[in-house]
Amino acid sequence: MNTGQLIVASRIGLLLGAFALASTLTGCATYSESFGSIERNLSAHQYDAALKDIEKQSGSKTDRVLYLLNKGMVLRMKRDFAGSNQMLEAAKAEMEKLYAASVSENTLSFIVNDATVSYAGDDYEQVLVHLYMAFNYLELGQPNDARVEALQVDIKLREIGEKISGDKFTEDALSRYLTGLVYEELGEWSDAMIAYRKAYEAYQKYSVNFGVPIPDMLKHDLLRLAQREGLTDEAAIYSKEFGIALAQEGSLAPEQEGELVFVLNNGLAPIKREKAAGLWVPPPTVAMHATRSQKQTMPVMVNIALPYYESRPNKVLSARVSVSGKQASTQMMENIDAIARASLDSHMPAITARSIARAVAKGVIQESVDRAGNRKNDPAVELIGSLFVRVAAIATERADTRSWLTLPANVQLARLSVPPGSYTVTVDLLGAGERVIASREYPGVVISKKHKTYLTQHWVAN
Amino acid sequence: MHQTLSKNSLAVLMALGLALAATGCSTSVKRMEASEVKDLSGAWNDTDSQQVSEEMIKDVLDRTWLGEFSRTQSRQPAVIVGEVSNLSHEHINVNTFVSDMERALINSDKVQFVASSTERQEIRGERKDQDLNASEASRKAMGQEKGADFMLKGTINTIIDASGNTQLRYYQVDLTLISLADNRKVWVGQKKIKKLVERSNLRF
Repeated sequence: MNTGQLIVASRIGLLLGAFALASTLTGCATYSESFGSIERNLSAHQYDAALKDIEKQSGSKTDRVLYLLNKGMVLRMKRDFAGSNQMLEAAKAEMEKLYAASVSENTLSFIVNDATVSYAGDDYEQVLVHLYMAFNYLELGQPNDARVEALQVDIKLREIGEKISGDKFTEDALSRYLTGLVYEELGEWSDAMIAYRKAYEAYQKYSVNFGVPIPDMLKHDLLRLAQREGLTDEAAIYSKEFGIALAQEGSLAPEQEGELVFVLNNGLAPIKREKAAGLWVPPPTVAMHATRSQKQTMPVMVNIALPYYESRPNKVLSARVSVSGKQASTQMMENIDAIARASLDSHMPAITARSIARAVAKGVIQESVDRAGNRKNDPAVELIGSLFVRVAAIATERADTRSWLTLPANVQLARLSVPPGSYTVTVDLLGAGERVIASREYPGVVISKKHKTYLTQHWVAN
Repeated sequence: MHQTLSKNSLAVLMALGLALAATGCSTSVKRMEASEVKDLSGAWNDTDSQQVSEEMIKDVLDRTWLGEFSRTQSRQPAVIVGEVSNLSHEHINVNTFVSDMERALINSDKVQFVASSTERQEIRGERKDQDLNASEASRKAMGQEKGADFMLKGTINTIIDASGNTQLRYYQVDLTLISLADNRKVWVGQKKIKKLVERSNLRF
């Protein structure tokens, strides 16, 4: 191949490349921008309309995990727990497939943007799938299947803990606590004790990292179970630490009663937005050989777009549950908003580094197109090619704003022990100063002896 | 300098073109023998279920409890399937090997099976319906059910050990035959399965 042919060939190649870049412009909006109408439908409790919107994203190959997660979440808001589990199980399988990094997607992401890589879910999202599947099974009255999810959470958390990283999220306190509740329900006391202990350790970290104090119910559970298992030393330590008196022999737990566990999924998780900055700089080779005199060169466009989290407004702060004259207030168990933010913070150095590397690569492409135009001595081709590749460079640089957006901002829990029977459960959603914002009634909630009945509600702010 | 740059960018762009072209493949279906071993994800699959049922059937028919019961009672024992609880980390369908066992035991002509508690509810409903709607001659009376002599119960347990990309999965299935008359365990069957699953770090 002589020099002339090479130049022609490379020019064709460059133009093709520019077209490839431009072809990605069609999906110009970032992921989070497409979520607006879904959010509106959710806050209006129009779940079918929201599902229809979500269905529009079913075609995307790289966002398949998110499509399944969102669909699973909205189905459970609709109280279709079996359908929800089907979706979440499919999401789990998809995540497992994406464990292996794709060579082609990562190559493409080096030139286009991070969103070309299939989204496998952040660590905390991969854990919360199991939590929500467990909630689904519990509400379906299948504690044995919830137990399976509990074991899978354990495996997943071990996997996350093994990775050496600056992550604050290495333990999921609520998953551990729910695991404890499930084991206790199934009569596996020692496993329940271990789960409560792990939840306790995790909440100690939560109170530092995410502002979630150790829930009172966990304190009572730890103490009660330690006494039950005959761990007198441990029980004494808990008693001193929490300031709760040890229960007298024989007065442990009203065994004849059942229990209502109410779960409030409050609001929506924070949403990633994009902040972008563009800069005209000298082309990379000129920058590197600053001393060498060059004939006039066009500056190249360097565009850097990075994601940041924006919390979603929510007036509801907690909830009050009433059953047959008894009342209980919900307690904060998991602050997903804070967990998501901490997770993005820990990924930010890598995201920034990739973005800068990409800016350099795009600069090189722009310069190459300029040179190819120069050699032809055709000002029109040069200008069109150069402009085109610059527009493409700006337009393709988008931040990866993908995240599981139908997750709640936080999860709260209330437990009430009541005698067996069928009840109407009233839930008051409280704002600032305990002002009632909305009320919901759930008729025909059956509480059976020595068992826990789970009731979950997802409240999305208007 | 000019040329090397162009060559480099050409290579990058060709890689990009390749990546874009690597989309869209049609579905293909290939029929397989039910006994053929095919491991995909390393999770519990049909092969595991078949191995468990084969092992259990062979064992349960070979043991002394059968002969002993037939000798002392001079009839075939009646068995009922109780709960096989899944204590593993996977959502395992236990019905496949339980019904394999049921079929093998019934076909051996040495054991009878009575319907399980959920099946019984349905049959009782049908008998109640017959009471109202069926003719006198074809009507089946209530209270004529055959009680079981033994109950088959079991558990599936797993132990997982993982490090990096490698996972060791250990499954243990225990089935027990308990005499309903005196709570005696007359047979305990066990099958262990161990798998080493290595996950790939890269895909195309």
